[in-house]
Amino acid sequence: MSEIKVVTNILQTNDEITAKNKKLLDSKGIYVINLMSSPGSGKTSLLERIIAKLKSDINIAVIEGDIYTTKDAERIEAQGVPVVQINTGGACHLDGEMIKGALNSLPLDKIDLLVIENVGNLVCPAEFEIGEDIKIAVLSTTEGNDKPLKYPLMFEKSGAVILNKLDLIEFTDFDKEEFYRDIKSLNANADTFETSCVKNQGIDEICSWLMSNILNKKIMVK
Amino acid sequence: MHEVSIIENVIKIVLEKAIENKFTKVNKVSLKIGELSGVMPESLNFAFKSCTIETLLEGSTLEIERVSAMAECMDCNQVFPINHFNKLCPCCNKFCSSIISGYELYINTIEGD
Repeated sequence: MSEIKVVTNILQTNDEITAKNKKLLDSKGIYVINLMSSPGSGKTSLLERIIAKLKSDINIAVIEGDIYTTKDAERIEAQGVPVVQINTGGACHLDGEMIKGALNSLPLDKIDLLVIENVGNLVCPAEFEIGEDIKIAVLSTTEGNDKPLKYPLMFEKSGAVILNKLDLIEFTDFDKEEFYRDIKSLNANADTFETSCVKNQGIDEICSWLMSNILNKKIMVK
Repeated sequence: MHEVSIIENVIKIVLEKAIENKFTKVNKVSLKIGELSGVMPESLNFAFKSCTIETLLEGSTLEIERVSAMAECMDCNQVFPINHFNKLCPCCNKFCSSIISGYELYINTIEGD
Protein backbone atom coordinates (compact mmCIF):
# COMPACT_ATOMS: atom_id res chain seq x y z
CA MET A 1 0.00 0.00 0.00
CA SER A 2 1.23 3.49 -0.73
CA GLU A 3 0.04 6.95 0.10
CA ILE A 4 0.20 9.79 -2.40
CA LYS A 5 -0.14 13.46 -1.72
CA VAL A 6 -2.83 14.94 -3.95
CA VAL A 7 -3.61 18.41 -2.52
CA THR A 8 -6.12 19.26 -5.25
CA ASN A 9 -9.06 21.61 -4.94
CA ILE A 10 -12.26 19.58 -5.29
CA LEU A 11 -13.90 22.34 -7.34
CA GLN A 12 -10.82 22.77 -9.55
CA THR A 13 -12.78 22.33 -12.78
CA ASN A 14 -15.10 25.22 -11.91
CA ASP A 15 -12.22 27.31 -10.57
CA GLU A 16 -10.17 26.82 -13.75
CA ILE A 17 -13.04 27.79 -16.06
CA THR A 18 -13.91 30.73 -13.81
CA ALA A 19 -10.30 31.95 -13.85
CA LYS A 20 -10.38 31.93 -17.67
CA ASN A 21 -13.70 33.81 -17.71
CA LYS A 22 -12.30 36.36 -15.28
CA LYS A 23 -9.16 36.85 -17.34
CA LEU A 24 -11.23 37.49 -20.45
CA LEU A 25 -13.57 39.92 -18.67
CA ASP A 26 -10.62 41.73 -17.04
CA SER A 27 -8.88 42.10 -20.40
CA LYS A 28 -11.96 43.94 -21.68
CA GLY A 29 -12.16 46.11 -18.55
CA ILE A 30 -15.71 44.95 -17.78
CA TYR A 31 -16.96 45.37 -14.21
CA VAL A 32 -18.87 42.21 -13.26
CA ILE A 33 -21.53 41.82 -10.60
CA ASN A 34 -22.86 38.53 -9.26
CA LEU A 35 -26.34 39.54 -8.05
CA MET A 36 -27.83 37.12 -5.54
CA SER A 37 -30.91 36.87 -3.32
CA SER A 38 -33.95 34.77 -2.46
CA PRO A 39 -36.62 34.40 -5.14
CA GLY A 40 -38.85 37.47 -5.16
CA SER A 41 -36.68 39.91 -3.24
CA GLY A 42 -36.47 42.26 -6.22
CA LYS A 43 -33.23 41.54 -8.13
CA THR A 44 -34.84 42.04 -11.55
CA SER A 45 -36.79 45.14 -10.45
CA LEU A 46 -33.60 46.68 -9.10
CA LEU A 47 -31.83 45.88 -12.35
CA GLU A 48 -34.61 47.51 -14.37
CA ARG A 49 -34.23 50.69 -12.31
CA ILE A 50 -30.44 50.69 -12.50
CA ILE A 51 -30.41 50.06 -16.26
CA ALA A 52 -32.96 52.82 -16.89
CA LYS A 53 -30.78 55.25 -14.95
CA LEU A 54 -27.37 54.25 -16.36
CA LYS A 55 -27.94 53.09 -19.92
CA SER A 56 -27.42 56.52 -21.48
CA ASP A 57 -23.97 56.82 -19.83
CA ILE A 58 -22.53 53.29 -20.08
CA ASN A 59 -23.01 50.01 -21.96
CA ILE A 60 -24.68 47.38 -19.82
CA ALA A 61 -25.26 43.68 -20.48
CA VAL A 62 -27.05 41.10 -18.38
CA ILE A 63 -26.82 37.33 -17.94
CA GLU A 64 -30.04 35.99 -16.48
CA GLY A 65 -29.91 32.76 -14.49
CA ASP A 66 -33.24 31.02 -14.12
CA ILE A 67 -34.19 27.41 -13.56
CA TYR A 68 -36.78 27.16 -16.34
CA THR A 69 -38.26 30.41 -17.70
CA THR A 70 -37.25 33.46 -19.74
CA LYS A 71 -39.52 35.81 -17.75
CA ASP A 72 -36.70 37.88 -16.23
CA ALA A 73 -34.72 38.02 -19.49
CA GLU A 74 -37.79 39.40 -21.28
CA ARG A 75 -38.09 42.18 -18.68
CA ILE A 76 -34.42 43.09 -19.16
CA GLU A 77 -34.68 42.89 -22.95
CA ALA A 78 -37.48 45.45 -22.79
CA GLN A 79 -34.86 47.86 -21.38
CA GLY A 80 -32.97 47.61 -24.66
CA VAL A 81 -29.72 46.09 -23.40
CA PRO A 82 -28.11 42.79 -24.50
CA VAL A 83 -29.26 39.90 -22.36
CA VAL A 84 -28.41 36.19 -22.37
CA GLN A 85 -30.67 33.67 -20.71
CA ILE A 86 -29.19 30.67 -18.93
CA ASN A 87 -31.73 28.01 -17.99
CA THR A 88 -30.11 25.72 -15.47
CA GLY A 89 -32.80 23.05 -15.95
CA GLY A 90 -33.11 22.37 -12.24
CA ALA A 91 -29.70 23.42 -10.90
CA CYS A 92 -29.92 25.91 -8.06
CA HIS A 93 -26.95 28.12 -8.99
CA LEU A 94 -24.81 29.31 -11.91
CA ASP A 95 -21.28 28.00 -12.45
CA GLY A 96 -18.23 28.85 -14.54
CA GLU A 97 -19.12 26.60 -17.48
CA MET A 98 -22.56 28.22 -17.89
CA ILE A 99 -21.04 31.71 -17.80
CA LYS A 100 -18.40 30.71 -20.35
CA GLY A 101 -21.15 29.76 -22.79
CA ALA A 102 -23.09 32.97 -22.16
CA LEU A 103 -20.01 35.18 -22.70
CA ASN A 104 -19.72 33.82 -26.26
CA SER A 105 -23.05 35.46 -27.07
CA LEU A 106 -22.23 38.93 -25.71
CA PRO A 107 -20.50 41.87 -27.49
CA LEU A 108 -17.67 41.98 -24.92
CA ASP A 109 -15.84 44.83 -26.65
CA LYS A 110 -18.82 47.08 -26.08
CA ILE A 111 -19.66 46.39 -22.44
CA ASP A 112 -18.74 48.44 -19.33
CA LEU A 113 -20.96 46.68 -16.80
CA LEU A 114 -22.02 43.04 -16.84
CA VAL A 115 -24.63 42.00 -14.30
CA ILE A 116 -25.07 38.28 -13.72
CA GLU A 117 -28.40 37.70 -12.03
CA ASN A 118 -28.00 34.39 -10.23
CA VAL A 119 -30.77 31.87 -9.57
CA GLY A 120 -33.00 33.04 -6.70
CA ASN A 121 -31.60 31.10 -3.73
CA LEU A 122 -29.89 32.23 -0.51
CA VAL A 123 -27.66 29.15 -0.18
CA CYS A 124 -25.92 27.65 -3.21
CA PRO A 125 -24.96 30.63 -5.40
CA ALA A 126 -22.64 31.85 -2.63
CA GLU A 127 -20.54 28.69 -2.90
CA PHE A 128 -19.54 29.09 -6.55
CA GLU A 129 -17.26 31.76 -7.98
CA ILE A 130 -18.30 32.72 -11.51
CA GLY A 131 -15.71 35.37 -12.42
CA GLU A 132 -17.29 38.38 -10.73
CA ASP A 133 -15.61 41.49 -9.32
CA ILE A 134 -18.19 41.73 -6.56
CA LYS A 135 -21.03 39.70 -5.09
CA ILE A 136 -24.08 41.76 -4.18
CA ALA A 137 -26.79 40.31 -1.95
CA VAL A 138 -30.32 41.70 -1.99
CA LEU A 139 -32.66 41.19 0.95
CA SER A 140 -36.21 42.53 1.05
CA THR A 141 -37.85 43.79 4.22
CA THR A 142 -40.69 41.27 3.92
CA GLU A 143 -38.24 38.35 4.23
CA GLY A 144 -37.36 39.34 7.79
CA ASN A 145 -34.16 40.67 9.32
CA ASP A 146 -33.14 37.23 10.62
CA LYS A 147 -31.96 36.02 7.19
CA PRO A 148 -28.29 37.14 7.26
CA LEU A 149 -27.59 34.99 10.32
CA LYS A 150 -29.64 32.09 8.95
CA TYR A 151 -27.77 32.17 5.61
CA PRO A 152 -24.39 33.55 6.70
CA LEU A 153 -22.20 32.51 3.76
CA MET A 154 -24.04 34.66 1.21
CA PHE A 155 -23.86 37.83 3.30
CA GLU A 156 -20.31 37.09 4.47
CA LYS A 157 -19.06 36.86 0.89
CA SER A 158 -20.98 39.85 -0.46
CA GLY A 159 -19.14 43.12 -0.94
CA ALA A 160 -22.43 45.00 -0.84
CA VAL A 161 -25.87 44.33 0.63
CA ILE A 162 -29.04 46.01 -0.62
CA LEU A 163 -32.11 46.20 1.61
CA ASN A 164 -35.03 46.37 -0.82
CA LYS A 165 -38.81 46.97 -0.49
CA LEU A 166 -38.22 49.72 2.02
CA ASP A 167 -41.71 51.04 1.24
CA LEU A 168 -43.16 47.92 2.92
CA ILE A 169 -41.09 48.01 6.09
CA GLU A 170 -43.88 49.61 8.14
CA PHE A 171 -46.05 46.53 7.53
CA THR A 172 -43.39 44.17 8.88
CA ASP A 173 -41.48 43.70 12.12
CA PHE A 174 -38.15 44.13 10.30
CA ASP A 175 -35.57 45.41 12.81
CA LYS A 176 -33.07 47.53 10.87
CA GLU A 177 -30.73 48.00 13.83
CA GLU A 178 -30.42 44.25 14.32
CA PHE A 179 -30.04 43.75 10.55
CA TYR A 180 -27.09 46.13 10.28
CA ARG A 181 -25.49 44.68 13.43
CA ASP A 182 -25.72 41.19 11.92
CA ILE A 183 -24.38 42.31 8.52
CA LYS A 184 -21.42 43.99 10.23
CA SER A 185 -20.68 40.84 12.25
CA LEU A 186 -20.57 38.77 9.05
CA ASN A 187 -18.68 41.30 6.94
CA ALA A 188 -17.83 44.67 8.46
CA ASN A 189 -16.51 45.87 5.10
CA ALA A 190 -19.74 45.41 3.14
CA ASP A 191 -21.27 48.54 1.62
CA THR A 192 -24.99 48.81 2.37
CA PHE A 193 -27.88 50.45 0.51
CA GLU A 194 -31.60 50.87 1.08
CA THR A 195 -33.99 50.87 -1.86
CA SER A 196 -37.60 50.85 -2.91
CA CYS A 197 -38.10 50.02 -6.57
CA VAL A 198 -41.77 51.01 -6.44
CA LYS A 199 -40.90 54.48 -5.14
CA ASN A 200 -37.58 54.68 -7.04
CA GLN A 201 -35.74 55.35 -3.76
CA GLY A 202 -32.03 54.71 -3.23
CA ILE A 203 -31.36 53.96 -6.91
CA ASP A 204 -29.26 57.12 -7.43
CA GLU A 205 -26.95 56.16 -4.55
CA ILE A 206 -26.39 52.67 -5.95
CA CYS A 207 -25.81 54.04 -9.43
CA SER A 208 -23.16 56.56 -8.39
CA TRP A 209 -21.40 53.89 -6.28
CA LEU A 210 -21.50 51.55 -9.30
CA MET A 211 -20.15 54.23 -11.63
CA SER A 212 -17.10 54.78 -9.42
CA ASN A 213 -16.47 50.99 -9.26
CA ILE A 214 -16.78 50.71 -13.05
CA LEU A 215 -14.34 53.59 -13.51
CA ASN A 216 -11.87 52.10 -11.00
CA LYS A 217 -11.89 48.83 -12.86
CA LYS A 218 -11.11 50.58 -16.15
CA ILE A 219 -8.23 52.49 -14.53
CA MET A 220 -6.93 49.30 -12.89
CA VAL A 221 -6.98 47.39 -16.18
CA LYS A 222 -5.13 50.15 -18.04
CA MET B 1 -25.18 21.69 -0.06
CA HIS B 2 -23.95 19.89 -3.22
CA GLU B 3 -22.38 17.01 -1.38
CA VAL B 4 -23.15 14.61 -4.24
CA SER B 5 -21.57 16.82 -6.91
CA ILE B 6 -18.60 17.44 -4.61
CA ILE B 7 -18.14 13.67 -4.20
CA GLU B 8 -18.47 13.18 -7.97
CA ASN B 9 -15.60 15.66 -8.41
CA VAL B 10 -13.61 13.85 -5.70
CA ILE B 11 -14.07 10.49 -7.45
CA LYS B 12 -13.05 11.96 -10.81
CA ILE B 13 -9.84 13.46 -9.39
CA VAL B 14 -9.00 10.35 -7.31
CA LEU B 15 -9.51 8.04 -10.31
CA GLU B 16 -7.14 10.18 -12.41
CA LYS B 17 -4.49 10.04 -9.66
CA ALA B 18 -5.04 6.32 -9.06
CA ILE B 19 -4.54 5.49 -12.74
CA GLU B 20 -1.49 7.78 -12.88
CA ASN B 21 0.01 5.84 -9.95
CA LYS B 22 -1.08 2.42 -11.32
CA PHE B 23 -3.31 1.63 -8.31
CA THR B 24 -5.68 -1.30 -8.76
CA LYS B 25 -7.53 -0.40 -5.60
CA VAL B 26 -8.00 2.77 -3.55
CA ASN B 27 -8.17 2.13 0.21
CA LYS B 28 -8.48 5.58 1.69
CA VAL B 29 -9.26 9.12 0.55
CA SER B 30 -8.47 12.02 2.89
CA LEU B 31 -10.20 15.37 2.45
CA LYS B 32 -9.68 18.70 4.15
CA ILE B 33 -12.91 20.64 4.58
CA GLY B 34 -12.99 24.14 6.04
CA GLU B 35 -15.48 24.98 8.79
CA LEU B 36 -16.91 27.89 6.81
CA SER B 37 -17.26 25.99 3.51
CA GLY B 38 -20.90 25.05 4.12
CA VAL B 39 -20.26 21.36 3.45
CA MET B 40 -21.68 18.68 5.77
CA PRO B 41 -19.31 15.74 6.50
CA GLU B 42 -22.23 13.36 7.22
CA SER B 43 -23.72 13.96 3.78
CA LEU B 44 -20.30 13.57 2.17
CA ASN B 45 -19.95 10.12 3.77
CA PHE B 46 -23.35 9.07 2.51
CA ALA B 47 -22.68 10.34 -1.01
CA PHE B 48 -19.22 8.71 -1.03
CA LYS B 49 -20.63 5.28 -0.13
CA SER B 50 -23.29 5.51 -2.84
CA CYS B 51 -21.21 7.00 -5.64
CA THR B 52 -18.09 4.80 -5.28
CA ILE B 53 -19.96 1.53 -5.98
CA GLU B 54 -18.35 -0.35 -8.90
CA THR B 55 -15.34 1.99 -9.04
CA LEU B 56 -11.72 1.52 -7.87
CA LEU B 57 -12.83 3.36 -4.73
CA GLU B 58 -15.55 0.91 -3.68
CA GLY B 59 -15.18 -0.03 -0.02
CA SER B 60 -12.52 2.62 0.65
CA THR B 61 -12.53 4.82 3.73
CA LEU B 62 -13.34 8.51 3.48
CA GLU B 63 -11.42 10.53 6.03
CA ILE B 64 -12.54 14.11 6.58
CA GLU B 65 -10.37 16.55 8.42
CA ARG B 66 -12.15 19.74 9.42
CA VAL B 67 -9.98 22.83 9.05
CA SER B 68 -10.71 25.47 11.65
CA ALA B 69 -11.45 29.00 10.54
CA MET B 70 -8.63 31.41 11.39
CA ALA B 71 -7.97 35.03 10.59
CA GLU B 72 -5.04 37.36 10.86
CA CYS B 73 -5.18 40.93 12.03
CA MET B 74 -3.06 43.18 9.80
CA ASP B 75 -2.73 45.76 12.58
CA CYS B 76 -1.29 43.61 15.36
CA ASN B 77 -0.40 40.39 13.45
CA GLN B 78 -2.48 38.33 15.85
CA VAL B 79 -3.79 35.03 14.40
CA PHE B 80 -7.13 34.09 15.97
CA PRO B 81 -10.08 31.71 15.53
CA ILE B 82 -13.22 33.09 13.87
CA ASN B 83 -16.69 31.90 12.97
CA HIS B 84 -19.38 33.26 10.67
CA PHE B 85 -20.64 35.60 13.35
CA ASN B 86 -17.51 36.81 15.09
CA LYS B 87 -14.46 37.93 13.21
CA LEU B 88 -13.14 40.56 15.59
CA CYS B 89 -9.48 40.58 16.61
CA PRO B 90 -9.27 39.72 20.34
CA CYS B 91 -6.45 42.26 20.76
CA CYS B 92 -7.64 45.38 18.98
CA ASN B 93 -11.32 44.50 18.43
CA LYS B 94 -11.10 45.36 14.72
CA PHE B 95 -12.84 43.32 12.02
CA CYS B 96 -10.37 40.79 10.66
CA SER B 97 -8.59 41.97 7.54
CA SER B 98 -7.51 38.57 6.28
CA ILE B 99 -9.18 35.16 6.59
CA ILE B 100 -6.38 32.59 6.35
CA SER B 101 -8.33 29.34 6.62
CA GLY B 102 -11.85 27.95 6.84
CA TYR B 103 -13.01 27.79 3.20
CA GLU B 104 -10.88 24.75 2.24
CA LEU B 105 -12.38 22.10 0.02
CA TYR B 106 -9.60 19.83 -1.15
CA ILE B 107 -8.32 16.27 -1.46
CA ASN B 108 -5.22 15.89 0.68
CA THR B 109 -3.98 12.32 0.19
CA ILE B 110 -5.07 8.97 -1.20
CA GLU B 111 -3.90 5.48 -0.25
CA GLY B 112 -4.01 2.48 -2.54
CA ASP B 113 -2.37 -0.71 -3.81
